[in-house]
Formats: sequence, structure tokens, C-alpha cells
Amino acid sequence: MLLELAADYNILRIDPVKAAFGAIALAVVYFFVARKAVPKVMKVLDERHDAIEGGIERAKRAEAEAEEIRQQYRDKLEESHREYAQELEKAKEQRAAIIAEAREEAQVEAKRIIDAAKAQIEADRQQAFVQLRGEIGTLSTELASRIVGETLGDGAAQTRVVDRFLEELESSESTKQAEVR
Amino acid sequence: MSADVRILAAEPGCHLFSGCGFEAPTIGMFFPEPWITGIPGTTGIDLYLVLLLIALGAVLLLWSWFSKKLSLVPGRRQGIGEMLVLFIRDQITRPTMGAKGDGFIPLMTAIFTFILLMNFTGLIPGLLPVNSDLSFPAMLAGFIFILTLIIGMKKQGGWGYIRNQIFPPGMPKPIYVLVTPIEILSVFVIRPVTHALRLFATMFAGSLLLAVFAYGGWYMLNVTAEPALAALSVVYSGAALLGYIAFFVFEILIMAVQAFIFTLLASLYINQSLEAAH
Repeated sequence: MLLELAADYNILRIDPVKAAFGAIALAVVYFFVARKAVPKVMKVLDERHDAIEGGIERAKRAEAEAEEIRQQYRDKLEESHREYAQELEKAKEQRAAIIAEAREEAQVEAKRIIDAAKAQIEADRQQAFVQLRGEIGTLSTELASRIVGETLGDGAAQTRVVDRFLEELESSESTKQAEVR
Repeated sequence: MSADVRILAAEPGCHLFSGCGFEAPTIGMFFPEPWITGIPGTTGIDLYLVLLLIALGAVLLLWSWFSKKLSLVPGRRQGIGEMLVLFIRDQITRPTMGAKGDGFIPLMTAIFTFILLMNFTGLIPGLLPVNSDLSFPAMLAGFIFILTLIIGMKKQGGWGYIRNQIFPPGMPKPIYVLVTPIEILSVFVIRPVTHALRLFATMFAGSLLLAVFAYGGWYMLNVTAEPALAALSVVYSGAALLGYIAFFVFEILIMAVQAFIFTLLASLYINQSLEAAH
């Protein structure tokens, strides 16, 4: 039965008219779908791809900008730190210089004062020495005259003379001092 | 004779337990009665041209629907269309041709959807896939074959293309005695013929299988028989229906896979025309 049918129907037959209609349909599909519809869809896909790509690009740019600003900020911070340290260093140096200068000045001043004092002392000493020398001369002369005026009989008398002289000297000294006062 | 069989197949008035045998669907179902005859070179205008028009209309409708009011932020409808285009790009043209094949995406998308919907006409109960008539797959395969010839000769020169096809480079000379006849046969005969036959045969067999389950189920259903037998016939018929549903789902898969394979092979053949050496 089937064999009989197979003989009747040639399933491998290619009908040229059907194929031609098929080709026309394919042409219509080609012009409508492949030429119009799909390119439209692909265009939108590309545009979206570009838009997304653009968005990523923009985000990347913003990120780079932020990074740059951060770097600048960091640089500035570092710079100001450095400047601060420099200023500190400078201040320290200045302080040291000021101290050294002051010390030097003080030393000079002290030396000057000491020198002045020394000169004063020397002058006083000189004056005292001169005065003392004058007085010693006078006193010696007086003492000598006394000794000579007295009888040089005994030692006791001499001792007395000297003691008296010294007493007088002392009393005259105190009166002189009282006079000064 | 053939007319009788067609009538028997078309009007299965015969049922189980009513004393007559089962008339299995025959390949006659792929030869519908022509409405207009007498055109030279053809058996006539028949159901297949209506099916072709249905498929064509469906393709045009589908793509006008996919491509209208497109926006950068797609809705569901636009998303499906885009998915289809990206599917063709990522599963067909990119793997076979690489980025240089992106220009073929529209053509491949058109061919894929056209074949898919030509197959899907077979899902309408009582109708057949357009591609179950060899005329249509042969036309499609012939179009691809001619396209590969044109592209190959444009890219590699007339003789250059044929030489690259029948003398694959990089072989010792004596081997060509063996290889060249095989390549000639392969490239210019077997390839286009199998390209067409693969699609045709799967659609043909799939439709026949579905028809067997449908006819069998209808034949086994006999509610006018004795109650016990009627119940049994319902069980048989139900089993056939389940088989029909299972194979129907399976057939949807096969139709999609065959459309995919046809397009993939077309892309592969075009790539061999684009590249000199492979």
C-alpha cells in the first residue's frame, strides 16, 4: 500500500512554481525584515550601547577628575606641612640666634661693668695709697719729733711716748671721723 | 486511487470496535488537492501557497511589531525583538564568521524568522509546515548556495574561490587526487542538497508523526460502541492524545532547532566564501 503510494507521490519533487512563490516571499521578507526592521532594531541597540558606553566614559572621566583634585589637595596639604616645618625650623634658628646675641651682649655688658669696677677700685686704691703716704709722712715726722723731744733716758719713757702718741692718734682719728660725720 | 486514499485520510469515519481497520495517514497528506491546475511545470496552486502566505504575513507582522516605536529604553515587545537579533549575532554569525559577519545579521535574522514561521504553520491543527514540501527548503538552500558562490567569487576571484574550495591548501600534491573529487562533490552537490533535505525531512517526518497520533487517537475513540468498549476506547484515545501533546511540544522544539541549524549552516557556508583559507 505504502509502496504503491510512494510510487504515486514523489516527495522529493521540486515544484518550480512553488519554489518561485517561495523565492518571491523570501524577497519580500528580505526587503522588509533584513533591510528595514532588523537594521532599525540594530541601530537602537548600537545607540543604547553607545549611550551606556558614553555613561561609563563620563563616570570614568568624573572619577579621574576627582582623583586629580584629591591629588592636588594632598599635594597642597603636604606642601603646607613642609612649609610649617620650614617655618618651625627657621623660628628655632632665629630663637637660637637671638639667645646667642643676647648672651654676647650680656657678656660684653658684664665685662664692661667689671672693668669699670676694677678701674674704680684701682683709682680708690691709688687715692688711698697717696693719702696714706702723705699721712704716714706727717705722722712719722710728728712721732719722730716727739721721740726726739722726750728724754731718751729709759726704755719705759720711750714706750710711754709711743703709747701716748698712738692714743692721741686714735682720739684724733675718732674726732676726725666725728668731724666728717 | 490516490483520491480515495486522500478522502479516507481526510474523513476518518472509521473507528475502533466498529469492524473496520485503521487507515494510517499516508504521505498523501503532503499532496493536497490543487485548486488551480493546468499551469505548466506545476501540479497546481494548492494549500502550500496559502501556508506560505500565512508564514509570510506572520513574519511581516512580527517584525513590524518588533520594529515600531523603538526607544533607547526598551519595553517588553522591543526587548524580544532585540533578543532575537542578539541571539542571531551571538549564536550564529559571531561564532561562525566573527565580527566581520555582523553585516549578515539582518539577512540571517530574516532567514531564521522566515524558516521558523514556515515551520510553525505545521502547529496549526490540520495544516502542514511549509517546509514539508521540498520545493521551499530547496529554494532556500539554493538561495544560500548561489549567495555563497557570488560572495566567494567576489572575495577570492572566480577561479580563486573554486580553487580554494576544491584544492584545500596545505596538502601534499598526490593527496589532491583523492581530496579534489570529494571536495567537488561535497561543496557543490552534497552541501546544498543536505542543506535542503535536512530541513525538509525533519518537517515531513514530524508532521507525519503528529498526524499518526491525531488520526490514531480519533480512530480509537468510539463512544457509540458497548459501554465497556467505549470506556476502553476513551482510555486508548486519551493515551494517543497525551502522545500527541508530547510530540507537539517536541515538534515545536524541532522546528526551532531546524530553523536554527539551517541558519547556522548558511552562516558557516558564507564564512567559507569570505575566507580564502580555512
